[in-house]
Amino acid sequence: MLRDSLKPITTSVQKELQGLLARENLSFLREDILCYSYDATNKIVPPEAVAFPETPEEISAILKLANLRGFPVVARGAGTGFTGGSLPVGGGLILSTERMKKIIEIDTDNLTAEVEPGVITGDLQAAVEKHGLFYPPDPTSFKFSTIGGNIAECAGGPRAVKYGVTRDYVLGLEVVLPTGEIIKTGGKTLKGVVGYDLTRLIVGSEGTLGVVTKAQLKLIAQPETRKMMLVKFAKLEDAARTVTGIIRRCIVPSTLELIDNASLRCVEEFTHMGLGGVEAVLLIEVDGRSESVEKDVLDIEGICKENASTEFRAATDKFEVRDLWKVRRSISPALKRLKSLKLNEDVVVPRSKLVELITGVEQISKERGVIIASFGHAGDGNIHVNIMVDKDDEEDCAKGLQAVEDVFKLTVSLGGTISGEHGVGTTKMPYINMELGAATIEAMKRIKEALDPRGILNPGKIFPAG
Amino acid sequence: MKSVEELLDIASKCVRCGTCKSFCPSYEILRREGGGPRGRVTLAETSLKEAGMGGTPFGPAFQKYVKDCTLCGSCHSNCPNDVDVPALILAARTGYIAKQGLSPFASLAIKNLLGSERLRPLSMKIASKLQGLIFKGSTVEHALVSRFSIPLIGGGRLVPNLPERFFMESKTAKARKSGPEQGAAKPKVSFFVGCGVNYFLPDIGEATVRVLERSGATVSIPKAQSCCGMPALSAGDQKTAREHALKNLEVFEKEDCDYIVTSCATCGHALKDVFKDLLCDSGEEDSEMAKRVDAFVAKVRDITELIAPEGDIPVKDIEDNERPLITQDGSKVTYHDPCHLRRYQGIAEEPRILLESSGLELVGMKHPCKCCGLGGGLAFSNYELSIEIARIKAEGVRGSGADIVATACPGCIIQLKDALHRYGVDAMVVHVVELL
Ligand SMILES: Cc1cc2nc3c(=O)[nH]c(=O)nc-3n(C[C@H](O)[C@H](O)[C@H](O)COP(=O)(O)OP(=O)(O)OC[C@H]3O[C@@H](n4cnc5c(N)ncnc54)[C@H](O)[C@@H]3O)c2cc1C
Ligand code: SF4
Ligand code: SF4
Repeated sequence: MLRDSLKPITTSVQKELQGLLARENLSFLREDILCYSYDATNKIVPPEAVAFPETPEEISAILKLANLRGFPVVARGAGTGFTGGSLPVGGGLILSTERMKKIIEIDTDNLTAEVEPGVITGDLQAAVEKHGLFYPPDPTSFKFSTIGGNIAECAGGPRAVKYGVTRDYVLGLEVVLPTGEIIKTGGKTLKGVVGYDLTRLIVGSEGTLGVVTKAQLKLIAQPETRKMMLVKFAKLEDAARTVTGIIRRCIVPSTLELIDNASLRCVEEFTHMGLGGVEAVLLIEVDGRSESVEKDVLDIEGICKENASTEFRAATDKFEVRDLWKVRRSISPALKRLKSLKLNEDVVVPRSKLVELITGVEQISKERGVIIASFGHAGDGNIHVNIMVDKDDEEDCAKGLQAVEDVFKLTVSLGGTISGEHGVGTTKMPYINMELGAATIEAMKRIKEALDPRGILNPGKIFPAG
Repeated sequence: MKSVEELLDIASKCVRCGTCKSFCPSYEILRREGGGPRGRVTLAETSLKEAGMGGTPFGPAFQKYVKDCTLCGSCHSNCPNDVDVPALILAARTGYIAKQGLSPFASLAIKNLLGSERLRPLSMKIASKLQGLIFKGSTVEHALVSRFSIPLIGGGRLVPNLPERFFMESKTAKARKSGPEQGAAKPKVSFFVGCGVNYFLPDIGEATVRVLERSGATVSIPKAQSCCGMPALSAGDQKTAREHALKNLEVFEKEDCDYIVTSCATCGHALKDVFKDLLCDSGEEDSEMAKRVDAFVAKVRDITELIAPEGDIPVKDIEDNERPLITQDGSKVTYHDPCHLRRYQGIAEEPRILLESSGLELVGMKHPCKCCGLGGGLAFSNYELSIEIARIKAEGVRGSGADIVATACPGCIIQLKDALHRYGVDAMVVHVVELL
């Protein structure tokens, strides 16, 4: 929702902002405006100012001023979101958390970590690993996205199939509310039922209900060993059937990723792994104690063969593992090699419906005459369906948008959801009523109203106007 | 040279995924979009669209952002869409130089010191005599520490002692200034010396010649050669860089040699990759000039590439030769990959194999291919950032437990010596060839 009452940052407001932050932590320069005008949707929406606060108090002061003067504020982590969450569509101030990058504590007695929101997820993972500990959430962007952004989008990744998503590791938060109050939710304890579960409300709220300034995260022990496998298939459907087969046998791999041929072709130009000609690939990883890992590998090999796999290979050294991950992580950006614009959807279906989703999408691609590249975290039913169009070709774009709608219809009809982890932002806004009932949307809007009466925090997201 | 259209085409391949940020040494410290590749692509693209190469719509912040880059190339080699970010950054630098000219100090350094016609200008001689005024002695051999903060240098900085005699004036160089010995069945090698070796680390030059001749080559060191042009190019002065390229092309064409060798990773990258770009406009692949450059480039080798066991002139007699630098048995050596060698020339195995065959114990270090922080002119334009980037390297060396750090670039050597001194790591820094 974008309110008419929102105001621009005038020269006098600029002066007031200057009073709140150190000189080097605030910029109105065109250079910075441009650098904070995009995220991974590759759309350009310039803000009017960029702030780099260092403390919750500074953020609180900024938000109080925003309420007083009516300018929008948008929190931004690394700007790697896929749904435009950090784009300042109503103008205003970008609040970058890049300077809040401290790992405050790694508590090896309680198995928790306390961090500031601008910590890069991969840096936290490396730091806890030194203590033999493990922070499992691993969005494919973990090397460059922030914990704050991960919390706001409830990011998931390949490991979600076994370890769950960001939500499952957030024990408590410090949050600055849109009206400027600094609150604490949850804490270091593993349980807690006093009052509403505001922690869960903030997780996945896409930066619309508050700015996360600290997070208390749950850690677990590093698994004893891991084994990575690459399995090739002559038909995409066979690969999807294998995924369902593995789950049905109650084997829970730590990664179960599916990649189709269109995606493989794109990364081949960058990684040169000789996968360009393969129809479909499963990347499977199992972890745990050595004995159980060995057994899982054997069982999985059997299931792959039952489903007509054409080649099964277990990685032999860490370099092979690294190369395989590089293939997986490069897909999303590399799809640009297919066509100029990517309509990037991340639908999820109950895992028993995976084959229907995959064959349905192939059907849509044929009927609408558009290229669709599918890959993703198949193990948890989450497939990244990328509808590729030529951004300068109106007809192609129109066909693409129809295909998006078809994919969403199919997903909902299979009992799924239209976004597993990327959020709604601006790109999925027109479609939320395909999944949510009017009363549900209304309840959500009331929560937003209650916490952000002037509508200044990340306006224009999630809920379509009207 | 690349046209504006070509550069914009490169920029248009960027999807702003942010992958490159995690590989960028300057972003890691600055933590601002403009201090990382994705921001720089956006700034360069906008600048090129609005003002071409002849200027820029931006001010000092733009200049700072595109200058705070070491041109290490990590962003490019890790970009899933093959976006040549350094090319865009160089274009952006050219834009602001066109708008406001080189800073007086950069101009002094590039035009009068490094960039002079020959590798032995009077100005450097005078500098050699006067260095005691601004620098004081240090505990590190052949090195000085700046007494106070001075432009382009910074304070408390360890720099190599300017030698009394530059390499080009040494007996070794003077005796080899005429073309290579003809007729003999020996491979003929011409040595591209480069500023780093000539002015600061002549021992590397001596070692290069020694190892080549021991391995059966005849060596010539053309007197009229000049700087490779990279300092000028990094500063955004393409014109001066092109003059150097042309001059060197002409000089080495006259040498009737089989190989042109350099012991500087940056010079090697300039000779192999940059000259073509400087001397030929795009679309001129079949021109006379393009053919000349191709013939020249075909001969260029890095010293470690040339003398590796699989190279054209495999090094001889490592075991029994006296190795002047190694004082104690059981020394451990670790290897730092120069950006310009590993990423731009694809040479990573050769130096390691040579080190292993030298009889020393080769140990790994953390992040061997992370940039040392010197490149792209950063060591002069922002010393503070440059030496902060080097901290990661110093810690890597400390963790490796090595007594010796070997690398293959005089620039890296100068930077690593300074970093080890500053962060209190006790290890010697040398060129691989000095250990052979
Ligand atoms: C190559 C690539 C692969 C990806 N793979 C995955 C994947 O596997 N799984 C997945 O889930 N996502 C993935 N993503 C999407 C993206 O990386 C995630 O959504 C990530 O969580 C965004 O983090 P960020 O720091 O970049 O946040 P930003 O993009 O900066 O912001 C995202 C949202 O979070 C809000 N926000 C940021 N910080 C705060 C804060 N401190 N408090 C409150 N709100 C805040 C912003 O307002 C915005 O709405 C991928 C992206 C890329 C480019
Ligand atoms: S340069 Fe490459 S890695 Fe960096 S944001 Fe652009 S596409 Fe991504
Ligand atoms: S060349 Fe190196 S320093 Fe420059 S933007 Fe790329 S990664 Fe960063």
